[in-house]
Parts: sequence; C-alpha cells; structure tokens
Amino acid sequence: MAAGIYVDKVRKAFGSFEALKSVSLDVQPEEFTVLLGPSGCGKTTLLRIIAGLETETSGVLKIGDKQVNGLPPRDRNIAMVFQNYAVFPHLTIFENIAFGLRMKKLLNSEIEPRVKKAAGMMHIEHLLERYSGQLSGGQRQRVAVARALAMEPEVLLMDEPLSNLDALLRLEMRAELKGLLAESRTTTIYVTHDQVEAMSLADRIAVMHGGHIIQYDSPIQVYQNPANEFCGGFIGNPPMNFLQAERRNGHCHIAGAALTAPSQGNGRVTLGIRPEDVVVAETSAADHLSGHVTVVEPLGPHNLLTLSVDQQLFRVTTAADSPIRSGQEVHLALAPGRLRWFDSESGQALH
Amino acid sequence: MTDATPEDLQDNRGMLDRLLPRWSIGQWLFATICLILCLWVLLPIYLLVLSAFSPRDAVFAWPKAYLPFDISTDTIAFFFGVRGVFSAFLNSVMVAALTMVISIGLGAPAGYALARFRFRGKDSFRLLIVMTRAFPIAILALPLTVTFIKLGLYDTVFGVALVHSALALPFAVLISSSLFMGIPFELEEAAWTMGCTRFQAFWRVVMPIATPGLAAAAIFAFVISWNEVFAATILTLQHPTLTAFLLTTLSESPLYFRFAGGFFLVVPALVFIFAVRKYLFSMWGIANR
Repeated sequence: MAAGIYVDKVRKAFGSFEALKSVSLDVQPEEFTVLLGPSGCGKTTLLRIIAGLETETSGVLKIGDKQVNGLPPRDRNIAMVFQNYAVFPHLTIFENIAFGLRMKKLLNSEIEPRVKKAAGMMHIEHLLERYSGQLSGGQRQRVAVARALAMEPEVLLMDEPLSNLDALLRLEMRAELKGLLAESRTTTIYVTHDQVEAMSLADRIAVMHGGHIIQYDSPIQVYQNPANEFCGGFIGNPPMNFLQAERRNGHCHIAGAALTAPSQGNGRVTLGIRPEDVVVAETSAADHLSGHVTVVEPLGPHNLLTLSVDQQLFRVTTAADSPIRSGQEVHLALAPGRLRWFDSESGQALH
Repeated sequence: MTDATPEDLQDNRGMLDRLLPRWSIGQWLFATICLILCLWVLLPIYLLVLSAFSPRDAVFAWPKAYLPFDISTDTIAFFFGVRGVFSAFLNSVMVAALTMVISIGLGAPAGYALARFRFRGKDSFRLLIVMTRAFPIAILALPLTVTFIKLGLYDTVFGVALVHSALALPFAVLISSSLFMGIPFELEEAAWTMGCTRFQAFWRVVMPIATPGLAAAAIFAFVISWNEVFAATILTLQHPTLTAFLLTTLSESPLYFRFAGGFFLVVPALVFIFAVRKYLFSMWGIANR
C-alpha cells in the first residue's frame, strides 16, 4: 500500500519571508526519508505542506500517482505523528487509536482488531482504557505512533516525534521505531534536527538549510561526502574539522604541511576532515600537520583532543589510553582517502 | 463548673495553647482581617437566607434566633403568592436563558476566531469588545427606549434579553477565547489528518474539551442577566423581570417580603458564580495580560 512522494519545485512564502525556496524530493515507496536541518530551515514547513496542513505558494506535490495540491489532509491518505503527540485528552487510548478508523466509518468488528494490533506493536495494550492525562510522555508518544499506524496510511509523516522524550527513552524509542517501521513497510518522512537520529533511521537524508535541500543522499554518503561545509559541520559529533589552506602549483599548504591539491588553480581552499580520520603521529612528515593540544576530554570510549592548528580550531579523537596531555605539540597524520576539499568562497565541495 | 480550681484554669490554658497554631502577630492580624471581611460578606447573606426561611412574624421577633430552629417555607410561599411575582420570576428566567443562548451563540464563535485566526484589526477588536462596557446604560437608556418602542421590542422578554446579551457578550467572548487558546491547535490538526473536516474536528475534538468552560461562560451570562436591574426596569412596563418588579414594589412591601425577594436575587447568582469560579479566574488571567 506504500506510495512514493514526489515534490517538485515547491516554494513557500510567509509574507516576504521565503521559508522554502524551490524544494524537490523524490521519495520511493517504502523508503524512510529524514528531513534534517537546524531550526528554521524549513523542514517542518515542508512536512506540513506534504500533510496538507500548510498550503504551498507554488510547485507540484504527488502522493502515489495522485496530484494532491490543494487537497485537504483527510484526502491524502496520510497519517501524522506530532511533536507534542496531540493525543486527545477527552478520549480513552482505545478511542484515540480508533478515531481515524471511526472517521472512515469502519465497523466495530473491523476497528477493534486493528486497534489491538497497533497497540500491540507499540506495547500499550494494557493502557487502552486509560486517558492521556494518566500516561507518561513516552507512553503518549507510543499512543501517537499507534494511532498513526492503525490508519494503515500510504505515507507516514513524523514531526520530531522523539524530541520531547528524555535522552534514555529517546534512544530506546529510536531503535524500536526503526524495527517497527521497517516491518510495516510504510513510506515515511521523518523530521528531526538530531543528526544521530537521522543517521540511524534514514534510508536517505535530505539535509536542509535556509529553505533549500543541500544534499539528498544515503546517510553514509552524507557523512563521508558532504555536499558543502554546512553539511560537514552539521552532521557528526564532534563535527568535521575545517582548515583554511593556500593552493599553489598543485599543492595546498596548511600549518607546515603540503597536501596534494584536489584540482588546478591557485588561491584559498578549505580542507575538511573528520576527527576520527586523524591519527596523532610520532614523527613529522611532509603531509603531517603540526598542532598544539589545548584541551583533552576523556569521554570513556575515546578521548577528544582540541587543538590549535595554524591558529584554527581542530578536533581529534584518540584512544582512551592515549598519553597525550594538554600543552603538548603533536604531529597529525590525515587518512589520505578521507580528505575533503571545499571552495572557501561558496563552501561547495570540490571534486 | 462554678468551683473550678486554679489548676483547672491552668490546664485549660495549656489546652488552648495546644489547639491554636503558633503564629506571629502579623499572621494573627492577617487572619483576623480575613475573618472580618468574610463575616462582612457572609453574615448579611446568612441573615437573609435565615429570614427567608423563617415564619413571617419571626422577622419582627426580638431577640433574633441566630440559628435556623424554625424552618418554614411560609415566607417563600407568601412571596410567590403576591400578584405579579411569579410571572416576573418566569420573565427573569426566560430573559436570562435567552441571554445565555445569544451570548454563547455569538460569543463562542467570536472567541474561537480570536484564538485561532490571525486577521487585520484583531487586537483592536479585542479591545473594542471590552469597550462596550464603557458606556453606562444610564446614558443609553433614553435612546434605547425610543428605538425599542419603534421596533416593537419595548416591554418584551426578547428586548430585555438583547440588552443583557450586549452586557454579557464581552465576557462570553473573552472567556471562550481564553478557553480555545488553551486547547492546542495540534489536536485539531491531528483530527484533520485522521479524516475530519475543519468543522468535524471542532465538533469532535474541541467542543468536548471546551464544554465545561463554555457552560461556565453560559452560567456567567445567566447571572449577569439575572442581576441586571436598570435596563430591565426601563425597558419593561407590564412584563418586568424579577429585579425590575422588586425595585418598583420593594419600598411599599412588608419586611418579610423583602427578605424573600432578596433571597431570590442573591442566592442563585452566588451559587452559580461559585460553581464556575475557576473559569472566571482564567478569564481575568487573560484580560490582565
């Protein structure tokens, strides 16, 4: 029953403010897509436009083969999970989950098994007679998801569903959701600002910034080959390191090191490298950076070093038993296949 | 008890100390003032109720019985037996009920609009609603009477209800708008995604949640109308409301009649207001912002 979602050049303006500037998406049936970006990037607006809660200024929107521009939410065969759960306080949990089915005028004999099934998937069978006021945040979240699943929609839309849960519960729900949604094979669009959530759940991530989709690719591609500096800096914790370099005669010069340049030309470029792709080396070499350790943070599984390289901030993860202390001068070996170069002016990746 | 020894007194003193909380002078002063204020308000009402439910001649008795030893519906029965009282009572009920229907029927949608939609002039609209209370009825009385006579509304239940609705509407609008604002919009949106039209979502989700509050607003409108004297007196002649009727007859009535009349004016309003106080506070909270 899963349907694809096709978004073509959708724009949304609130007065003179352009929240979405020509956004296109092509979500395959059964695919799990995450819209990822900082607050104000337009990700929730895009989700609400797909749901029909917001009207696009221009552009084409299709769910399955049906063009849904101008259709109200009820005619789009979607279900949505809201950030604040939106569990109806005046109805029991059973009636909450049955609400959409009753609106479809299903018979009681059809409604009950579907409610029980959805409640079973979310492990809330024992709460069906209660009211939302008697539930914890995590339980309400489960009700909201069960209510959406019971609708058996073509498309499931989730707006930061885990952001109101505490850290531990969020981790638990994330894994559970992933298993559940893979099983239900529903096309899902999931909005979050949490890059770990995006990495963990998505088949494809659409990274959004300032009303644009900057990169639309698999999590591993987005992580390893960010389309621009923003993507590299937004995804990953700690984020990608960026260093300003001078490009001369096929080499880029940073902090005493000469690295092979990505392409011809002279002038400034930016080097990007992830903290785990750097190794602290014993000896110096032509392609090693030299840096000064300012802070050492033991995080348990590894230590996080903060360094100053050529007056620029740089982070490296090392083994937890690393003897390096703050104040030390060190040499840094960069994993050769992991260097990424960006245009210093536009921030776009150079290939 | 006459031969109480000093030891007994000593004992009593100890018991008193144990019974009373250890308060500072400031706290005692505060408690005393609270007590005086409560008595100030409650004592007359108590005496009113007591007299209304005593036999007629008990009103003149002296010393008074301060406890309800001699309960009787005699006075109440006499009160309703007086010509005009019962029909005035019915008029009051009808006017108040009509006021309730009109002010909620118009006020709730207005409140919903204020809570949910952004439109030009919303803030001035909110202010103007309250401004309707800035014109004293006394100023409007003459033009109103003339207009009502022209329109054929003079001395009708509907005419009085219209004026009372004008008085009650600002409160109905403010109470219901604060009520709807307290209901998350997401609930409605969730209902839309589950197959509801805008109206169905309102009817199935917002209304059930808002009903207790709307009932409170309705009761408040009822009370405003029930207690209103001036407009009711001016705009009626043959068909007065209870307040209008009492105002014109009170000065030439026996004392027990006044007590019974007072009872019917004060007590229903008090009981109703007490029942809905929670919602009234929430309205003031919004109005104070």
